[in-house]
Amino acid sequence: MNPQVWLAALAGELSRHGIGPDLAGHVVAEAAAHLRDSGEAPLSAFGPPAAYAAAVADSVGGPDLRPPRRVPGAVRLNVRGVTKRYRRRPVLTGVDLTVRAGEIAAVVGANGCGKSTFLRICAGLASPDRGKVYVNGTVGYCPQDSGTCGFLTPEEHFVLIGAGRGMPRTAALRTGRANAAALDWSPVSATQARHLSGGTRQKLNLIMARMGEPDVLLLDEPYQGFDRGTYLDFWHEVWRWRDAGKAIVVVTHLLNQLDRVDIVLDLTSTKERVA
Amino acid sequence: MTKTCTVAEMALREIARRRSVLVMLLLLPLTFYLSRRGDHLGQSIRFLCLGLGWALSTAALFAGSAARAIEPRLRLCGYRGHHLVLGRLAALWTVGATLSLPYFLLIRFDQHDVRYGAVALIMAITVVVAAPFGLALSAALPRELEGTLVLLTVIGLQMMMDPAGTSSRILPFWFSREIGTYAVDHTDSGYLERGLIHGATFAVVLTALVVANSSIRLRQRSHLQFSSPR
Repeated sequence: MNPQVWLAALAGELSRHGIGPDLAGHVVAEAAAHLRDSGEAPLSAFGPPAAYAAAVADSVGGPDLRPPRRVPGAVRLNVRGVTKRYRRRPVLTGVDLTVRAGEIAAVVGANGCGKSTFLRICAGLASPDRGKVYVNGTVGYCPQDSGTCGFLTPEEHFVLIGAGRGMPRTAALRTGRANAAALDWSPVSATQARHLSGGTRQKLNLIMARMGEPDVLLLDEPYQGFDRGTYLDFWHEVWRWRDAGKAIVVVTHLLNQLDRVDIVLDLTSTKERVA
Repeated sequence: MTKTCTVAEMALREIARRRSVLVMLLLLPLTFYLSRRGDHLGQSIRFLCLGLGWALSTAALFAGSAARAIEPRLRLCGYRGHHLVLGRLAALWTVGATLSLPYFLLIRFDQHDVRYGAVALIMAITVVVAAPFGLALSAALPRELEGTLVLLTVIGLQMMMDPAGTSSRILPFWFSREIGTYAVDHTDSGYLERGLIHGATFAVVLTALVVANSSIRLRQRSHLQFSSPR
């Protein structure tokens, strides 16, 4: 790995570890100066960029990945008393959830507790036995899988979804490419969706959900297949969308310290609590 | 209109990329045609049209099944049921017309003493009926295998049943036998009229069925209420 590539990778990893641009710039400049003066190979001098960035993050006391809390806006998604049974087995019982503009809600719970069903009900793709869902604005939905057309390229997906949102072709392509770049992905125009890896297909799925800047984003485990870097990029993007005033609901079964959210809806016990 | 055209464009791109399927679609009517060309030229025309209908219905069946996963998502991002159905139908009709053209030319130069205009008419109605027929099957039978077996049964019955019998008129491609008789045997225009009425009826009913099914399946659910952002 040549020094320039290593330094660029280090800058990315520092950002992923929540190191601010000033400190990250300083660390990269110091590392560049050391490499230039010593003539050493970066891997032998510092090790892999990810490991060095982690060490830097530890040395500065660990990053505060939680973006500053902002005052939430208007209610965007209001779920009241949603109940759903499958073959007499209750899956959801009187579930309530309120998500305002500028808030992230995580829907968690054990396998089979109805997380995806809940999100499909919120998106209007499935009907509950009882209950109402009120949406103030437009909805973007990212399914867990199978939300793409295998024989279309990523850019054709952007055009297809963009046309539904009323976007001209060039605007849809521009938006899709920009959102792909934010997830560290540059779509190759000739590659059909069926030939993409699982993680890349999920990136496409996520970008499709974001087309047209919907007010409410419903994301059903959108990071399946993501590598660690993309996973961190994803959460940085989610925080950015929250700061832009979006209401976001993320279905997840992996809620660790990185996944800072405002509301947690645990469907195992169907209790809503503020994080 | 932009939404319908975009769906049609993407559906065409999807079909065009299934090259092996396209080759089979192209060859299936030819095998039907050649099976009777040696002993009964008129029958070979009727078989060719049935083969064309079968090939396009199968393509529509698979296109409809493949689209089921993404259609709810497209509905959510602004498409209506009729945009999706009409776009897909437009793509399938374009494929059908493209497939028909070489076969019409084949008959034009391989067969003599035939009403070519009537042959073109059979092909046109076959294309118009076969696409919604395949989409209707995919809506009623979401699993492709079941749909394919029903399609096989319908085409098999179409070949075996006596076209003069009343019950054979419930089959979607009965018109091709009637107009085929008019084209090959130079019968009176009664055959043409009956065929036209049958074909037009099936085209309208099947298309309406597919649009209605899509509208119901992709309707906005009553539990969900939208309001404009404040």
